[in-house]
Amino acid sequence: MERMRRVGLAGFVIVALVAGLSIRPVAQGTSLTVLSREGRKPLALTSINNQDYVSVDDINTLFATTSRDDRQAGALTITARTRNVVLSENQNIVSVSGRLVSLPAPPVRRDNRWFVPVDFLPRALALALESRIDLRRPSRLLIVGDLRVPRVVARVDAGPTNVVVTFDVTPNTESRVVAQQGRLLLQFEADALELVAPTLPPQTFLLGLAAGDTGASVLLTTGPRYASHRVSTSQADAGSGRVTIDLLPSTTIETPSPTAPPPPDTRTLLVPQGPSTGLRTVVIDPGHGGEELGAQGPKGTLEKDITLSVARRLRTLIESRLGLKVYLTREDDRTMSLDDRSAFANSHQADVFLSIHGNAAVRPALKGAEVYYLTVERADEETRKRADDDATVLPALGGGSRTINLILWETAQARYLEQSAALAGFVERALSTKVEMSPRAMQQAPFRVLVGANMPAALVEIGYLSNVDQETQLGSAEYQDLVAQALMDALVKFREFLEP
Amino acid sequence: MIAGTVVVAIGLAYALFSGLSRVLTGPTPDAAAGAGAPSAPAAATAPVVPKIKATLFFASEDGLRLAPVQSDVPLADGPVAQARAIVEAQLTAEPPAALARTIPAGVTLRGLFVSQNNEAFVDLDPSIKSGHPGGSLQELLTVYTIVNVLLTNLPTLQQVQILIDGHEADTLAGHVDLRRPLRKNEGLIQPSNTTPAVTLPSPSPQ
Repeated sequence: MERMRRVGLAGFVIVALVAGLSIRPVAQGTSLTVLSREGRKPLALTSINNQDYVSVDDINTLFATTSRDDRQAGALTITARTRNVVLSENQNIVSVSGRLVSLPAPPVRRDNRWFVPVDFLPRALALALESRIDLRRPSRLLIVGDLRVPRVVARVDAGPTNVVVTFDVTPNTESRVVAQQGRLLLQFEADALELVAPTLPPQTFLLGLAAGDTGASVLLTTGPRYASHRVSTSQADAGSGRVTIDLLPSTTIETPSPTAPPPPDTRTLLVPQGPSTGLRTVVIDPGHGGEELGAQGPKGTLEKDITLSVARRLRTLIESRLGLKVYLTREDDRTMSLDDRSAFANSHQADVFLSIHGNAAVRPALKGAEVYYLTVERADEETRKRADDDATVLPALGGGSRTINLILWETAQARYLEQSAALAGFVERALSTKVEMSPRAMQQAPFRVLVGANMPAALVEIGYLSNVDQETQLGSAEYQDLVAQALMDALVKFREFLEP
Repeated sequence: MIAGTVVVAIGLAYALFSGLSRVLTGPTPDAAAGAGAPSAPAAATAPVVPKIKATLFFASEDGLRLAPVQSDVPLADGPVAQARAIVEAQLTAEPPAALARTIPAGVTLRGLFVSQNNEAFVDLDPSIKSGHPGGSLQELLTVYTIVNVLLTNLPTLQQVQILIDGHEADTLAGHVDLRRPLRKNEGLIQPSNTTPAVTLPSPSPQ
């Protein structure tokens, strides 16, 4: 408790303590890394019934809470400051000063020690401590208090001679690049980073990409062929920003640079060139991932792998041909909730959201692609009206006020249904020119991933993994390219539709 | 924001579990007592169990839709018990030769409640999720078998929400939104003139 109270007082002095907190991509160990103003500490995870649990003893040590075990009642009371959290064995609802909070699994007592699901920390303990506790499951990070820990997703694309490193930063955070001997340091105005680093392509002069050891930074290690770099940042009005570092080799620097007709990074250049359309940012959602395998073909092909591969191909096509900003909801094989996927599209202010899936049926003969947009279950007009009405005036930074539209998550997609239907229509037509369609090529369904999308959105089933022939097709580069090409064609049509 | 969502979700879950008798209508003794226990299955042991004709659903021959099939289901005392009997019949019934199951075999009903707004809450055991093969179409067929079997046979019911292991769930297999009650999906039902004239080989017709 003492420790938590000091948090606010320590101020910037302690930022120095936090220096060096950058996190390695995804910690594989069985512990969480707890980040607070005090520094970095491990918190052991115990797997019980395939869920991550933490021991209450460890929580007491880390958060200066106390606990009292009432064996007769099968209950445990955790006291945090002045608030009590009451847990009952095998009951996955806990009480925080009388307020009920659900857990994904019940607390467990083992060998006289209590264990709680890891979600207990952000859901219940945060309420009791009146402190922000942010659990970032994929990175096994637990952030306590108001630390600035942006998520930085790095991507490396090897060009013919150059190497382009792209960092998507959420929330958008100021940064600068410092060149040092044999390396570049990308330094963020933050307390720490949640860095997702990719595997580097072989045989380039980018030798390493890792968390830097001085504060919230990323360290790029360059080989002798590196000569110079160019940095561009796109600080969109969205919650995210993008930093692109173009690394140029020593042999070819002078030839393309002076006039630079086709610069390697088309993203930042093609956007302003294009006509002013309503389509600037596309979010592609590779369905499933991590523990959520999705459908599985008879030969073992996994939906989650196919969807990621198609999404990457589609991104490359759109970026190079249309010059739009493209973000994937997941860059790798990770578990991600459906609401997080649409939230990602919302926070990136996407103009279109496409979720990519592979299908399965009880009838092995069934094959073909399908497109879905959302059914709204309740009275559509009422929902949409409510979505349009909720304008709210908020104070703006620097004085004055601005009106923003606040909408309920459940009504977000309702106002885009007509555009989503049009989008689905373009996707269906474009796909039908390239690949076989299912007998029910376009449908509506109450799909969760579309519900919260605050933009035109569709879900594409690119084929049936349950059909042996189609499973082979779906795994092939040719088929995946055909699908990606069709989806890009559909986006071109949709752009014309938005801005005739 | 997350806390808000959580609290709403819990409110519902908690109401379902602790305050049923106050919150819910219907033949309450049965609704409250039968939460975990399966009510009398369509066993051939009881000699004179009156039956009603009910429509059950299976995957159509082409696998794209739900084919309605007339079947005998035990008559139960009151709409909630009848709803339970219908869902249990759907879970255990073997499909006619040309059709296929839409729900993994062995899934059991943990409980079924009806709210004042005539929304049915169908609580299924977790094998409905763990045993599901995945895929949007298959998930749609599974979910709407449950939803349609209730809303087709018990017209007073308006909507159906599926719970898994006593809790609200996002989805069964990553697609269909289960956080809200669902209406009947007529579009997924195969038109009856193409329904194969097969009767269910179920226990003794009355």
